Amino acid sequence: MADTILNVEHLNKNFGKKQVLKDVSFSVQTGHIVGLVGPNGAGKSTIMKAVLGLFNYASGKITIDGDPVSPTSHKAMDKVGALIEYPGIYPFLTGYQHLQLFSKDSTSKDQIMDIVDKMKMDSYINRKAKTYSLGMKQKLGIALALVDRPKFVILDEPMNGLDPQANKDLRTIILDLAKQGTTFLISSHILSELEKLIDDLVVIDKGQIVYTESMANLESGGKKLLVLKTSDDAKAKDLLAQNNYQLDDGDKLAVIENDQTKMADVIKLLSDNDIEIEDVQHVHSDLETSLLNLLKNDKVKES
Amino acid sequence: MITLVKQETFKLLHKKSTYAVSATLLIIMTIYAVLTKNYPKYWGAPQGQFVGMFTGATWIVFFMIAACSSIIAMEFQYGTIKELLYRKYYRGQILVSKWITMLLYSIYFYVLAFVWSLLLKVVLFNDKFQLSDTYQSGHSVIEAQWLGIIGTFLTVWLVLSLVLLLANIFKSTAAAISIGIIGYFALSIISNVMFLLMQKWEWLKWNPLNMMNLPQQLLSDSVHKMTLLSTPEMVCGSLVYTAIFMAISYVVFKRRSV
Ligand SMILES: Nc1ncnc2c1ncn2[C@@H]1O[C@H](COP(=O)(O)OP(=O)(O)OP(=O)(O)O)[C@@H](O)[C@H]1O
Ligand SMILES: [Mg+2]
Repeated sequence: MADTILNVEHLNKNFGKKQVLKDVSFSVQTGHIVGLVGPNGAGKSTIMKAVLGLFNYASGKITIDGDPVSPTSHKAMDKVGALIEYPGIYPFLTGYQHLQLFSKDSTSKDQIMDIVDKMKMDSYINRKAKTYSLGMKQKLGIALALVDRPKFVILDEPMNGLDPQANKDLRTIILDLAKQGTTFLISSHILSELEKLIDDLVVIDKGQIVYTESMANLESGGKKLLVLKTSDDAKAKDLLAQNNYQLDDGDKLAVIENDQTKMADVIKLLSDNDIEIEDVQHVHSDLETSLLNLLKNDKVKES
Repeated sequence: MITLVKQETFKLLHKKSTYAVSATLLIIMTIYAVLTKNYPKYWGAPQGQFVGMFTGATWIVFFMIAACSSIIAMEFQYGTIKELLYRKYYRGQILVSKWITMLLYSIYFYVLAFVWSLLLKVVLFNDKFQLSDTYQSGHSVIEAQWLGIIGTFLTVWLVLSLVLLLANIFKSTAAAISIGIIGYFALSIISNVMFLLMQKWEWLKWNPLNMMNLPQQLLSDSVHKMTLLSTPEMVCGSLVYTAIFMAISYVVFKRRSV
């Protein structure tokens, strides 16, 4: 068990009569960056709050680093930093005072300034937070989650409101920390960003885990396509099919690539048959496409 | 726990309103003292004003009601409650640290008003009366002031425990403040009716509003005929009601989903 930092087993949670989490089980490997994705209202924030000991839950077991977590058992929280939904901010304090207030006594000034520096918040860190923009508040929320250098960091939609540069900075910080052994559980709807970060993916829909997989497996599972535009697509389709190329079902002329597919062969075949090639594109199925397919096909029924 | 109280104090000390309120208290007390000196006919004897800390005692109630409702409700309003609660501390500890901070804050107010009233007495009324002069029911002026402070302190905390509870339930400053203030001042309006009813049904003497007469009873024994309770009974009654309201707050806060 030494290599899993978070373990969630058979977690059930109700809000009144509505069952929001149904038998949720997953685990997070130490040092990994895990993405938690799913449609609005799927239960991502709810899972994160339960993991932080903010909720009572009907049944199930949550452990962080071996220590059980519940509203009455918070020992493990010492190792955890989090940003849930939107950052909580006192308008009458400055950014720096927030970091001072919420950081542990063992966290030095240099450590505070280090995260301020990395998040590029220097220019406004001594201004009152009520003057902050949405993105500035978001950055402060992230800084608050990271300032104590926790072992395990939970970020709920951290990219919310961040500009492209800040997004890139955040990515660098997360990847750096992960290299040093920090574990992350991150939820986001910006899949193109998340894709660049995560090692593993947990997909949740309507309160149930529908998919857990490592990114490496997910990527290798995706189709690679060679999309062609020619002077006579219909003829090209027939020709390629006759030559044992696998074609994609869509409207476009697309060859499903495998290890043997060579672009040069395809081009040669077509030009030998007097078909002009106007455009060639490699298309990778990305996280977004895979995920949308997954959620479209999934068998979870609303109860 | 000390860390938590320190954090609450940190927040309190970085609010501008904290300083504004202290300054306001001193200014109002000074204004009343000056008016009393110049127009004694309208403002009553300086001894009486001194015993009531130049109306400071009343203003402290307002300020503490506002402070207690905001220390709880602001966390919900600003969404900082999650940050407070996910840490290694327990919910109960978070709540108790807020109570302790407010207790310290109320003590601070009373000390401030007491010292300032002494100062005003020395500067403005040094030749008018002595602290050792007899004031009422054989109590000297300074004794009367102290009895008043002790009495209001206990009753104020009875009100504050209710305010803390309401702020917890409604998560809103406005609701807790209005009910707290109305509750505190409703006493003077309905006390006559209450005393009448108590003559008929004696057990009504144990209702929390009756405990609010403690400061008056401490000063003059005759009030006992109306409240039907002995002074120790009233002190215990106030403490018990305070404890009950605190206990309900504690349970509500522990159960709350955030
Ligand atoms: N305090 C609450 N009381 C009642 N229902 C709630 C409460 N909080 C969340 N829910 C319900 O729980 C479900 C899951 O909510 P949750 O906030 O976890 O979704 P999410 O996956 O984080 O969605 P999003 O992508 O929009 O952030 C939703 O159906 C929501 O209506
Ligand atoms: Mg959410």
